[in-house]
Amino acid sequence: MHSKASLGLGVGIMILSAWGVISALAWPWKAALFPLVIGIPIFCLAATEVLWVLFGSTVRGETMDFQLSTHLPEQVTLRRTALAVGWMLGFFGAIVLVSFPVAVPLFVFLYLKLQGREGWGLSLIFTVAVWALFYGLFDRLLHLPFPDGWIQTWAGLT
Amino acid sequence: MIDALFEGLLLVLQWKAFAFMLLGIGLGFWVGLLPGLGGATTLALMLPFIYAMQPVEAFAFLLGMHSVVATTGDITSVLFGVPGEATAAATILDGHAMAKKGEAGRALGAALTSSLIGALVGAFALALAIPVVRPLVLTFGSPELFMVAIVGLAFIASLSAHGARGMLRGFLAGGLGLFFATVGQDPQAGIARYTLGTLYLWGGLELVPMLIGIFAIPEIIDLVVRGTSIAGDVPPGRLNKGALEGVKDTFRHFWLTIRCSLIGTFIGIMPGLGGSVAQWMAYGHATQSARNAEERKQFGAGDVRGVLGPGAANNSKEGGALIPTVAFGVPGSSAMAILLGGFFLMGLVPGPDMLTKHLAVTFSMVWTIVLANVITVVACFLFLNQLARLTAVRGHLLIPVILVLVFIGSYTANNHYGDVLVMLLFGGIGYLMVVGGWPRAPFVLGLVLGKIAENYLYISVARYEAAWLYRPVVLVLLGLALVVICYPLIQARRAGAKKDAHA
Repeated sequence: MHSKASLGLGVGIMILSAWGVISALAWPWKAALFPLVIGIPIFCLAATEVLWVLFGSTVRGETMDFQLSTHLPEQVTLRRTALAVGWMLGFFGAIVLVSFPVAVPLFVFLYLKLQGREGWGLSLIFTVAVWALFYGLFDRLLHLPFPDGWIQTWAGLT
Repeated sequence: MIDALFEGLLLVLQWKAFAFMLLGIGLGFWVGLLPGLGGATTLALMLPFIYAMQPVEAFAFLLGMHSVVATTGDITSVLFGVPGEATAAATILDGHAMAKKGEAGRALGAALTSSLIGALVGAFALALAIPVVRPLVLTFGSPELFMVAIVGLAFIASLSAHGARGMLRGFLAGGLGLFFATVGQDPQAGIARYTLGTLYLWGGLELVPMLIGIFAIPEIIDLVVRGTSIAGDVPPGRLNKGALEGVKDTFRHFWLTIRCSLIGTFIGIMPGLGGSVAQWMAYGHATQSARNAEERKQFGAGDVRGVLGPGAANNSKEGGALIPTVAFGVPGSSAMAILLGGFFLMGLVPGPDMLTKHLAVTFSMVWTIVLANVITVVACFLFLNQLARLTAVRGHLLIPVILVLVFIGSYTANNHYGDVLVMLLFGGIGYLMVVGGWPRAPFVLGLVLGKIAENYLYISVARYEAAWLYRPVVLVLLGLALVVICYPLIQARRAGAKKDAHA
């Protein structure tokens, strides 16, 4: 899996830097200097990385960074990863559709009930507590502007 | 001078100034804990409230608040892997790894104690350096500052992974970070670069959503995958011990803490580099303290030195950043630029007057940094072990709360949904980097340094053409960058040769 991720990153950076360099060629030198100074070397480095992945050793590189858990079967890891990504995208979708003040309690409650399989009592109390923290701090105290969601706008509830 | 030093202390200890400092500390404490809400933003929000204050009270309030933000920012970094502040991101690499091993208390103890030592070193440097710093700052023009950025990047790129392959990825990650920093309207010609036709990207990519995404998203996914608490199966009895061990660790590696504090102070003095750079430079230096390749592998997996370095540098840079602000009116960071606004609101003009007529006020700032940090660290220690117990809370109770903070923290950058999308996009990149074994530290340093480096490179080329490359300090820094790049390779080759000889 690490080789695929490296290959994906390498190819992605090659495409990105090639596009960056080609775009920069059309700009005045003041604007193009830095993107060219950076874009050309990283294209070459990314190409080296891609060749290394394709034809070199498949041993995973050691980094000074945190490592993902590896004690679970790959199928379980993939399924749970997809689930985590799904929850995050779902939360973002909910924010866009119904805005933060509604999406926050909705997400917390559904996560606790469906993913955490918690009881109704704990889920409700926890949701109210998180919502109170969110509302009190970000809405009442800091006055963050939360635009209406698409659904509120569409239904004329603004 | 000694009289002014004591007068400064007495000024801060006046009940009104002291009360404002406590209020500032309270605000800074919570701002540090909340991801996305930056110290600079809060300084700007609080600036209008100082109109009615005396200069000493105003600086006790503002500096008291700003001094503790980096300290408490480390707490969320260690416990949840979410940077409470952009300047606390480097603490995640080893601090959160320690929390996952059940050593959250020890990591927090180390982070707080090193923060305190860093703050004291920074304040001491501020007190000592004001009369002598002028020649140093004037030696560093744009070419030298560009090279400092390159040395920093070389430092972290070559040290954050092992071997030639790791170094390749390190530089690639750093370069990618620099490349993303070019998004937005360019500062010289006003050209919209890589904005994809959207108005949102004209202002460039915001650092906070990118940092939150890169660090928090992979940790959250891993927590969901594991299905346990952050500390996993570590017995709960172990979690509420260890804060004292963290304190001892700081003194075991006392000179490392001091060196990292000095790095932070130096970066703080250099205009424009800022705390986000200081922490990574210090982390790079901490990894250099490993005596061999085996020991270096501990970094990223929970080595306490990886917590001590950034912790110390984060706080020492405040004293450093105040030096050019007070002495020349040249702010060392965005927060200092806002503080400079405070000077003018108070009718004070930074420069020689601050070192003569208002010397006691200048020393009151030094004392504020010292007292604010001491008070915060003592207050934190009172419930540090209780905080560490949060790592034993069931993951599915923590995840929704962390995600809410992550999403809102990103959104607060511009109050725009685009920031949340940027956070998710960079979360994806961060996750791929972790899966592929790419170091994230150089990527983040590239993001932080990009705009600064571009600005200095442009000025260097426009002003000196190719001649900037031959300036003596530039050549010294270039040599240093080469040493930093070659040293780990030579070290690895030597270790390999030794192994062969033993076999």
